[in-house]
Amino acid sequence: MRAHVAVLVVLGILVAVLGGWAVSVNNQLVRLEQDVNEKWAQVQNVYQRRADLIPNLVETVRGFAAQERTVLEEVTRARAAATGVQLTPEALTDPKALERFQAVQRGLDGALSRLLVVVERYPELRSNQNFLTLQSQLEGTENRIAIERRRYNEAVRDYNTRLRLFPGSLVAAVAGFRPKAFFETSPDAATPPRVKF
Amino acid sequence: MNDYAGLLSPEDRVRLEQRLAAGETATGTQMVVAIFRSLEGESLEDFSIRLAERWRVGRRGLDDGVILLVFVADRRVRLEVGYGLEPVITDAVSDAIIREVLAPRFREGRYAAGLEAAVAAVYDRLGGRPAAARPRPRTPWPVLGFFAVFALIVALLAWESLSLSRRQRRRHYTLGREGWYVPVGPQWRTSGPWIGGGVRRGPVGLPSGGGFSGAGGRFGGGGASGRW
Repeated sequence: MRAHVAVLVVLGILVAVLGGWAVSVNNQLVRLEQDVNEKWAQVQNVYQRRADLIPNLVETVRGFAAQERTVLEEVTRARAAATGVQLTPEALTDPKALERFQAVQRGLDGALSRLLVVVERYPELRSNQNFLTLQSQLEGTENRIAIERRRYNEAVRDYNTRLRLFPGSLVAAVAGFRPKAFFETSPDAATPPRVKF
Repeated sequence: MNDYAGLLSPEDRVRLEQRLAAGETATGTQMVVAIFRSLEGESLEDFSIRLAERWRVGRRGLDDGVILLVFVADRRVRLEVGYGLEPVITDAVSDAIIREVLAPRFREGRYAAGLEAAVAAVYDRLGGRPAAARPRPRTPWPVLGFFAVFALIVALLAWESLSLSRRQRRRHYTLGREGWYVPVGPQWRTSGPWIGGGVRRGPVGLPSGGGFSGAGGRFGGGGASGRW
């Protein structure tokens, strides 16, 4: 009889300890996931900020170099494609979704850099005050993009590490946490796209 | 004011420090000037933002710090602007300050004059207007309180040591005698100019950001880069 009670007490303590530990791991993961989602929101913000600059930039360039129609249209198209891909935080567990997001943004990177090469041929445009302002805003935005991408990757690293650490990974599997995708630096994007004149 | 390159004379240094202190008193905005010898091949923007993250210039919550970085050998400068000041000192304004105020004087070798004019331009732009706090996503207090209570119960159940020792500690700040000292984990920088904490590697030594106390201003890449 007494042995019976002892076994029950030990079992009860064991369940409480294990349960408490599982809850604590779960909450850590919730917090880290929240951090990843916040950083992702920032990433989308800065990309949106860049997209918002483009109509103005295109208009300004057109004012001086209307004949560069193909390049200008290409930028407008790439912008439309880029703003068309928005990812919810839930989609971050899918590396292909993030790859799609990156691909359209890279398309815009390319179109923008071609536009800025064209601009080289118009000294009047390059000394235009409005253009100079847009140029510094674009540079600043590219810089912010690089920073927010890095911060996102850091948050994902923290989250994924906690997720995979044994034995917490057992809790993560049961609670349905899944690893998030990183931003990859493709060979041509090893250095963030820079706006140079 | 941190001159790691020995660019300024002691008198200029003192005058600039007084100017910075006066500006901070007038506007509340903390501005730091840091002069380095060389980037040693690092990316300017990358170095700058990591320095800003380390020093955390500006007031917590207002995020109104400004850092002016100078790399003498590379002839490059960057004005790094905290989140809270981005609407006032926009990238375009930062760019104009560098191109029109600082660079012409630097080209003539008048470094102290260039720095002073740039500092004055920044504070003029602020004009005593207190920076508004930037709204940002933040965990609301009731949720934090709930977590606190919950964590307490969990800790009691699972014994304190078990849960607390595993909690992530990302950044520690301790107030040393010479200002903020920020211990740096080994996963941080391995190359380039040395910016405080950890093992001293490069030829450019940076003490604990001596002479100022960063309160926790945050940066998101606002500002502009330039050359002279």
